[in-house]
Amino acid sequence: MTLFLVGFGLVVAAAIVPPVLPHGAARRSAFGALLVAGCGLTAAAAVVALAGARVIQLTWRSYLPGGDAVIGIDPLSAVFAIAVAVLGATNGIFGDADVRSGAHPERSTEANALYAVLVASLLLVVTAQSVVLFLTAWELMAISSFLLVIFDHGQADVRRAGWIYVVATHVSTLLLFAMFALWSGTARDMTFASLADAWAGMPNRSVILLLGLVAFGVKAGYVPLHFWLPPAHSASPSHVSALMSGVVIKTGIYGILRVLTLSGAPPAWFGWTVLVLGGISALLGVLWALAQHDVKRLLAYHSVENIGIIMLGIGIGALGGAYGYPALAILGYGAAVLHMVNHALFKSLLFMAAGAVYRRTHTRNIEELGGLARRMPWTFLMFFIGAVAIIGVPPLNGFVSEWLIYVGLYDAARTVGAMRLAIFAAPVLALVGGLALACFAKVTGVVFLGTARSARVAESSEVGSSYLIPQGVLAAACFAIGLLPALLATAIARVGAFVAGDPAWGSGGAGASIGTLRGPMLFAIALTAAIAVAALLRFALMRRRSIRRAPTWGCGYPEPTPRMQYTASSFASPLVSMFGAVSGVYEHRGATIFHSEPRDIVLDGVLVRAWARVEAAALRLRPIQQGRLHLYLVYVVAAVLSCLVYFVVAR
Amino acid sequence: MRPAASAWIALAIVLVVAPGVLGVASRTRALLTRRRGAPVLQSYYDLLKLLRRGSVLSDTTSRVFRAAPVCLVASTLLAGAVIPLDGRAALIRFPGDVVALVYALAFGRFLLVLAALDTGSSFEGMGASREVTVASIVELGLFLSFGTLAALTKTSSLSGMLGAPLAAAWPTGSPAILMTAVGLFALMLAECTRVPVDDPATHLELTMIHEVMILDHSGPDLALILYSSALELSIIAAIIVTLLAPRGDMPVAVSLAVLAAGLLATGVAIGIVEATVARLRLPKIPLYLASAASLGLFSLVLVLWSSP
Repeated sequence: MTLFLVGFGLVVAAAIVPPVLPHGAARRSAFGALLVAGCGLTAAAAVVALAGARVIQLTWRSYLPGGDAVIGIDPLSAVFAIAVAVLGATNGIFGDADVRSGAHPERSTEANALYAVLVASLLLVVTAQSVVLFLTAWELMAISSFLLVIFDHGQADVRRAGWIYVVATHVSTLLLFAMFALWSGTARDMTFASLADAWAGMPNRSVILLLGLVAFGVKAGYVPLHFWLPPAHSASPSHVSALMSGVVIKTGIYGILRVLTLSGAPPAWFGWTVLVLGGISALLGVLWALAQHDVKRLLAYHSVENIGIIMLGIGIGALGGAYGYPALAILGYGAAVLHMVNHALFKSLLFMAAGAVYRRTHTRNIEELGGLARRMPWTFLMFFIGAVAIIGVPPLNGFVSEWLIYVGLYDAARTVGAMRLAIFAAPVLALVGGLALACFAKVTGVVFLGTARSARVAESSEVGSSYLIPQGVLAAACFAIGLLPALLATAIARVGAFVAGDPAWGSGGAGASIGTLRGPMLFAIALTAAIAVAALLRFALMRRRSIRRAPTWGCGYPEPTPRMQYTASSFASPLVSMFGAVSGVYEHRGATIFHSEPRDIVLDGVLVRAWARVEAAALRLRPIQQGRLHLYLVYVVAAVLSCLVYFVVAR
Repeated sequence: MRPAASAWIALAIVLVVAPGVLGVASRTRALLTRRRGAPVLQSYYDLLKLLRRGSVLSDTTSRVFRAAPVCLVASTLLAGAVIPLDGRAALIRFPGDVVALVYALAFGRFLLVLAALDTGSSFEGMGASREVTVASIVELGLFLSFGTLAALTKTSSLSGMLGAPLAAAWPTGSPAILMTAVGLFALMLAECTRVPVDDPATHLELTMIHEVMILDHSGPDLALILYSSALELSIIAAIIVTLLAPRGDMPVAVSLAVLAAGLLATGVAIGIVEATVARLRLPKIPLYLASAASLGLFSLVLVLWSSP
């Protein structure tokens, strides 16, 4: 625990110390060093706790309302803390470099300080074990991330995105207040341990579960609560988008898993709700992503998709608990947690690579890009690794966690009773995988391959090492988990068993249900070896052959132009039009132009319209606000009189 | 003979027979349409010729273009390694290896689609777009079919779904198995871009799907791609053959002979389809795919309905 607290202190110091140092190299290196050291120590503390299967806790006695403040690391906290610490360090280094070469280099100290506060509050959110401390950290996280989202507040769409985000996150906080208020009603005090003890005798357990699902859902951003996510991710600086998508939205997942840990096996309806929401979210998320042309919005919709996949895992776990299949419960929760970690790694990688492209080309519209693989080869390699990982194909890490979720679904088909219906999620996940492949083929192909679609792109050059090294770390992690998943099997099973409430979570026996993960490991290694052998054979074969260079075949047309390439709109069109109105796309067709424009069905279609109605209705109340003092005195007198009358009559 | 040895031999049979299946298909089609047609071994000659040639690379392409054929052939081979081609057990088998099969094919496809976009040609972009559209619904259908088999045989490994538990499930589950087999055949035609979804014999770029994606590949690269397509068709055909004739109890030699004969018979069946059915218009293809996938859905519902 000391290790964790020291690390946490260093992260806080990364927020406080650099601003008081003199400008220049000292300030920059202080931030980087403090942040990396702090994140390293907290990650080490979490790894030690997880590997040793221990729960570490620290309690501060307090006589304030709300009671003691408890902070602790159990397996669930540990795995999220590791994700926060790793991404906190890599994204921080990337972001420091990125902001300094951006439009507001003079504000990089401010951005760094806010960023360090965000990382510290994230660490606190996932380790707080009492209500008041948790809510404080939650709010700190919301505010610091809001300030980072509106970093470029000179632009109107950034302010709008920030506004939507701050409203959404406070709705979430408000619902959390309601949930904890209900829950702690009969509890001894407001520590998580007491909440867990009080659960069995609670009257409104269904209401609490539902409140938790919605409150944490707003943060996690499953459909239809995802509406704040694409604008916020598109507006923020790249490293903030990466951290938001990587870990901030995962605190919603953490919250749902924490509620399940404290409450024990949930009722079946909860599991089905989570499973169905997950399926819908995965499918609609990837479909909407396919329609996007802003690369960061596209990646944000993929976060919605991946949150859906994680929820499928949680759904399997919850159903396993509800129907009395403990092995399935461990498998489902374990798969969800592993996919959470994997998504944090590859999504941050993708956001950073996209951020590097933005820094060089100053556009996020993929229709204006193209041919960057030759000008930014390393950035392309990073994006490509991230893309292969996110579409869930072997040999990278996305495959391992999606495979685990499939295994959970297939295992569900082997049980008896209603649980078997979960198998219907498998084809949905397959369709999601196919659409994700289409989407990443589109974005990788249109941004990096082919030829440049504008002059600005043709002049761009590779970014520096402070951009590439953080990405390289994450890419290496994607490879490591993809090729050697067996090393993680025990840890994943431990977290799954802990959430499932298996009293034997600390012992080695819990791992049996996840298996050793040797299957996908063997497959990934065999595939890598086969690729290497095939590449060697091709090399040997081509060594003495003539290789000629020629223009791309254009059916005899000798003068191809960049404008003749297939556009992102056209590429996505067959799939998007297959889904009709659900895809929310408006197509502009003309003799020489085809362009599609995405709209968010929930935000633009429902929420904005509904709010316009509310606003119109509220305007009717306008006449009572005249700004004259005597009128308000009349209101006050009338209010007091009516209260008096009410009390007299009520007696 | 040890099971592993028979699995290796079965894999070798599939690797050798794969181009021949295409030859049988085109020969059948030619005979049924009253033409003489190319020799059955023509696809082998084509591959050998391409392997001996040099290569022309497009100016716009990057490393991805050259990596794609290599990754495609490796991933297709690995997809074949998780199928129990000898009817008993696969070379690589683990719970949920069915996911590895589909996702390995997806990995190869991803690289091929990127290679197509790498050329900057609108034809190849169009082909890539169509390919991913078809493939995403095919994946849905494949998982419905495999879901049926998983629910029927109570395993999630292909070595179980197509091994001894399948033979045990035949007497009661034959309607579902037959429906799955028909659905898989229809999906195979789409996945391997045969009529009625795509026509490998067409010569108009605008109407192609798979062929137009590989317009710029030449020489050994093209040979690798063509061979991978043939291999992919054969490994899906091997699944269908095993479904219709579970080979777990047969002697090894008979089982291998049935595999080879079944693959060639699939070639004949494809040829018959190609000679008798017209190619669908592109907008109709999703409907075709949905019908094929819904066969998988019906069989899954049937299995879940009929067992407790």
